[in-house]
Amino acid sequence: MNNLIEFFKRAFHIIVLAVLLILSVVMLGKSLAFNDYRLSRAVQSVVGPIQKSGRSMIHRFHLGPENEALVQQNIQLLREQENMFIVKEDTILTEMSMPDSTNTKRVRLYDYTYAHVIFRTTDRAFNYMIVDKGSKDGITRDMAVLSPQGVAGVVTDVSPNFATVRPILHPESRISAVVTPANQNGTVIWEDNDPRVAYLEAIPQHSEINIGDSVFTNGFSNIFPKGLFIGTVKEVQVGNNASFLTIKINLATPYTDIYTVYLVENTFKAELDSLKANFKNE
Amino acid sequence: MNNIIANILRFLILLIVQVIVCQHICLFGYMTPALFLLALFLLPLELPLSLQYFIGFATGFVVDAFAHTLGVSSFACTLMMFVRPYVAHWLNGSNNVKFENIDRPEPGAKDFRWVFLYTLILTSLYQLTSVLLETMSFRNFGHTLLVILGNTLFSVFVILCVEYIFHSHSKGEI
Repeated sequence: MNNLIEFFKRAFHIIVLAVLLILSVVMLGKSLAFNDYRLSRAVQSVVGPIQKSGRSMIHRFHLGPENEALVQQNIQLLREQENMFIVKEDTILTEMSMPDSTNTKRVRLYDYTYAHVIFRTTDRAFNYMIVDKGSKDGITRDMAVLSPQGVAGVVTDVSPNFATVRPILHPESRISAVVTPANQNGTVIWEDNDPRVAYLEAIPQHSEINIGDSVFTNGFSNIFPKGLFIGTVKEVQVGNNASFLTIKINLATPYTDIYTVYLVENTFKAELDSLKANFKNE
Repeated sequence: MNNIIANILRFLILLIVQVIVCQHICLFGYMTPALFLLALFLLPLELPLSLQYFIGFATGFVVDAFAHTLGVSSFACTLMMFVRPYVAHWLNGSNNVKFENIDRPEPGAKDFRWVFLYTLILTSLYQLTSVLLETMSFRNFGHTLLVILGNTLFSVFVILCVEYIFHSHSKGEI
């Protein structure tokens, strides 16, 4: 009996080793050979939440490239929107007189690209932003600048690698807009030095404007495509000037927290501008 | 007592770093460091053998749980813990396997050659076992060998870096 105890004392660690190794092989064999997922499922239910929080922590480092890819995808989708095109009669198809085909073609009027804001001010009377793309990247004056949430501003100056943007937060900024559902056209201006609020003017007093109504671009300016979101109505007052309302709007673009912007180019801008110039001269 | 707390803390930190960071590293598409082995390497050799095996098994199990390879690391770690004292004593130059108190497999107690060989032998054993168990076949053996080699070199590099960086900061205690 004593011998047996002595033997166990000496061989105890070998027994433990054997048991542990066999246990490992059993676990390995169960998941490999018998497709028994009960153990791994039980383990996963414990490990899963930890792994998830760990991954989301690590994932922050990948957000940059992922964002970039999503921006690229957004550009592709934005370029295919209906308000990017004008519909024209296609003369070739008309001459061939094919009865079934619609003899119209879509011509691209607006094109998108994107940039990142590297500097911006929001607390001054004359605010501006600088983006990291310039004439080398095809940026020109008077391109529209949009944030993911809505209209942001207009390009006013271009250097080879950078461009200056005049946001709505600027006394000279004027954006023709339409307020729905009243469907009245007006102009968005900025006065109060508050980066969250702008004014919509030239809305006649008889129109029915409610708080919360949406304000969109109306596409009259050749800078902004039609139907881009600007903001929502915050306050409606009967102004001093009896014929118009004073409307305060909440801007959709969070200027204090803006990084990626989309730039919209009007491909027929020069042509349209020359027409407008002729009109003025008359 | 102080030593025990230091060991436990080291275990926790290295395991967390392993399962959250190291396991997701894939250098050149196949090299993954096994940093948690450092915690096993630095265990005092005078612990009861059965406890050492059990610690190895438990550590392997945790790593397995996060890598969805149940059994692989537990087996490799247990086997490594079994071989570990023999490697240490072979490196000490004594043939008789006796576990003495002075045997601390730490940079402070040993020279670089000792620490390097100790790390290299045990890491390659661990990687050999775990990669072979994970692949479970000798098909495409060239690639398997490459993975074993790459993992071993990367692991040894990372382990030695961590070992020496943190050693010099805290004067003898890691």
